[in-house]
Amino acid sequence: MIRICFALLVAGFTAAQALAAESNKTLFPAVQPDAGTLTIYSTTDLVAIKPLIEDFQKSSPDVSIDYNEYLTNELNALASEACRKQEPLGDLLLSSSVDQLLKLANDGCAAAHTSPETLRVAEWANWRDEVFGFTYEPAVFVYNRSKVPPAEVPRTHVELADLLRERLDYYRGRVGTYDIRLSGIGYLLAFNDARQTTTVFGRLLESMARASAVARCCTGEILEEVAKGNLYIGYNMLGSYAYDAAQRHPELGVVVPRDYTLVLSRGALIPKGAQRADLGARFLDYLLSERGQSVARTNAFYFTESGELPPGVDGPQNLKESGVAQPIRIGPALLAVQDRAQRQRFIEDWSQSLIELNSPAWTRE
Amino acid sequence: MRPEALQHGPSLFGRLARRISFVLFIGAALLVSAAWYYAETAANKAYDRLLVGAALQMAESLSVEDGILTARLPTSAFELLGLADRDRIFYRVIDTHGQTLTGYDDLKTPTPLERAQDPLSVEEGVYKGEPVRIAHATRILADPAVSGRAYVIVAQTNEARLALTRELTLRATILVFIMSLLAFAGAMLAIRYALQPVEQLGTEVRGRDPHDLTPVTVDVPRELDPFVSSINHFMGRLNERVDLLQRFIADAAHQIRTPLTALTAQIDLLGTGKLDKAGRQHFNRVKERTSELSRLTNQLLSHAMVIHRADSVQLEPISLVDVARRAYRVAIPVTVDPDIVISFEAPDDRPLVLGDAVSLREAIVNVIDNALRHGTDQRLEVRVRASGTQAFVEVEDDGPGIPPESWEKATQRFATSKSREGSSGLGFAIAQEVANAHGGTLSFRARDERGFTVVLSLPLYRGVAK
Repeated sequence: MIRICFALLVAGFTAAQALAAESNKTLFPAVQPDAGTLTIYSTTDLVAIKPLIEDFQKSSPDVSIDYNEYLTNELNALASEACRKQEPLGDLLLSSSVDQLLKLANDGCAAAHTSPETLRVAEWANWRDEVFGFTYEPAVFVYNRSKVPPAEVPRTHVELADLLRERLDYYRGRVGTYDIRLSGIGYLLAFNDARQTTTVFGRLLESMARASAVARCCTGEILEEVAKGNLYIGYNMLGSYAYDAAQRHPELGVVVPRDYTLVLSRGALIPKGAQRADLGARFLDYLLSERGQSVARTNAFYFTESGELPPGVDGPQNLKESGVAQPIRIGPALLAVQDRAQRQRFIEDWSQSLIELNSPAWTRE
Repeated sequence: MRPEALQHGPSLFGRLARRISFVLFIGAALLVSAAWYYAETAANKAYDRLLVGAALQMAESLSVEDGILTARLPTSAFELLGLADRDRIFYRVIDTHGQTLTGYDDLKTPTPLERAQDPLSVEEGVYKGEPVRIAHATRILADPAVSGRAYVIVAQTNEARLALTRELTLRATILVFIMSLLAFAGAMLAIRYALQPVEQLGTEVRGRDPHDLTPVTVDVPRELDPFVSSINHFMGRLNERVDLLQRFIADAAHQIRTPLTALTAQIDLLGTGKLDKAGRQHFNRVKERTSELSRLTNQLLSHAMVIHRADSVQLEPISLVDVARRAYRVAIPVTVDPDIVISFEAPDDRPLVLGDAVSLREAIVNVIDNALRHGTDQRLEVRVRASGTQAFVEVEDDGPGIPPESWEKATQRFATSKSREGSSGLGFAIAQEVANAHGGTLSFRARDERGFTVVLSLPLYRGVAK
């Protein structure tokens, strides 16, 4: 039964892909006479990347940027296919689903790039000088301040599980999280949650299932619904998007869990044989540079490895020093995440726990 | 012949240095190759363990669930492989039917799995165009639903191995290089040291007096003994020849003297009475030549005697004034031109020299004789004086003297600018020979308003006369 559902889903998703390919294209024309067009394939929301692209074009006014936005799984499918055919996809790939980028690099689809800027990248966020992590984004809880009383705001994973169990009726259908079948980043976070603490994750999954948690493809959707009050709590949201939404919707609260916080570093990769690999490298260097990082801190991704949490975020003072942060290391271990048997079974298990028990919620989608 | 004029053959040092460096170079190359080989083996061993470990972990993770073979690949297996942090990892899990369960479908072991003997293996291979190490592990399943052999193949690129191999080899190479350098420097020092006696021998032989034909007595290593004894043997033979030659000359001079004396007597008896003018002229010339011949014969004998005495006679302290005075008396003939003013000056303190009185007298006689014959116009002075550590016998005349450019030539045998006047040319040669034998010199002082001076200088004797 599940398999059929899954197959249907994949079929639908492939059809949606063609549609997405046209609708999510944004062109940033060069301010000065064109030196060339840098084609970026990315999973980052346009809103988040825009300040960075605009600032980049201030220092490189001769570069046009063709920005193509996809869901993580879509991007991965496109890039793998392109690599197989040896027709490089764009000049730079940006994906929050670093496990997919790592798999691509492992399959020989990436070109190495070294520069003074890449030397600044932390060791855990650089693999073979091919995949670089350029952000520092904790996975956070979000909640609606008017719906979740201050006393109930969960600050650890266990508290969240307990809250859902204790106030089952109140939170039924009001908790949202990634649909890991659709979102590569959701899968990556869930897999790492499972690795962190098998028992807590199991409990949490069970609680969410009982509370008929809602699974959505993207952070944005969940954030919107939490802001509106349709959902009360969002689990495993990317900190950067959550904080951005919280700034626009004051009723949105952001909690950095105090027991452990998965930290994701958005990955960048230059495809092997990219036509304008030089421009790709230039933009990558910009992202890693002091200037790019500072723009990212103030306008795009807000959280940094060394600095304090942005104001208004509930959590430990400093992620790194508190020892709570668990960065997802960009390394071969991610290949285990990307193993297809592993993935299939993990998603089956997850679907079985979360979705099948709530098939009414699932069919309503 | 001077050593500089010799054609320089390849130096012994250079030859040894070249050969030793060649041997060291070959040795170093062999060592570096061996180091590289061992480093590669070590790196392969180290990283093969990770590879096999990962393959075993993966094989261990295979399990049968609900009658289906499933693989739960442990993250730790990948983390283990990730210790080679830059290497790409490929894997494939094959079920009991030979179907790919998960991983890279086209990954194969170089040796087909069906033919693999061992449950574990590590081989070299190529995957996706990259050289890789490929390991496989076998899992034998005996579940009622699934039974047979399942395989796990894990491959890893070679970057970490190469990096480790390079690093180990580089370190070994630095060590080998340093050792070679030390060995080379040591060898060079040793060769220099070993060749020192050769240098010393050369200096000793080169620094010898040309007349010194006595055996060389330098301490040399055993290896140089044949060389030294050859030199000594040759010198001995040369000495014998020289002795023979000198004796022959002395004998010849002696033998000639007797008939010459008779000849002189006969000529004197012949008289000039019956001769016409031309005949008298001829007669006088014969007489002159005969006396010249007898003087030459005497000089030859005196030369031979001087040389002989230089080798054989023990030197003793003598008064230079006495010797000079005696020579003065012998050298000035009674028949000397009475118009010539002749004087002899000597200090009161009678300087002593260590010498052979006979040879010294002969030397001074020759110098005075020479001055009388070729120099003196109206005045001849013989002076003995001492100054500092030297004693001098000076013979000064008012003649034209010898121009400085001819001084060197003047002391050579049978060389003179005035051969027509019947010089034998042996006078200065004898004087110099004697001076040298006494550690002194024969020199000339350029003509001034007083005259031209020949100076025989000898070291003063500081001891007490016997």
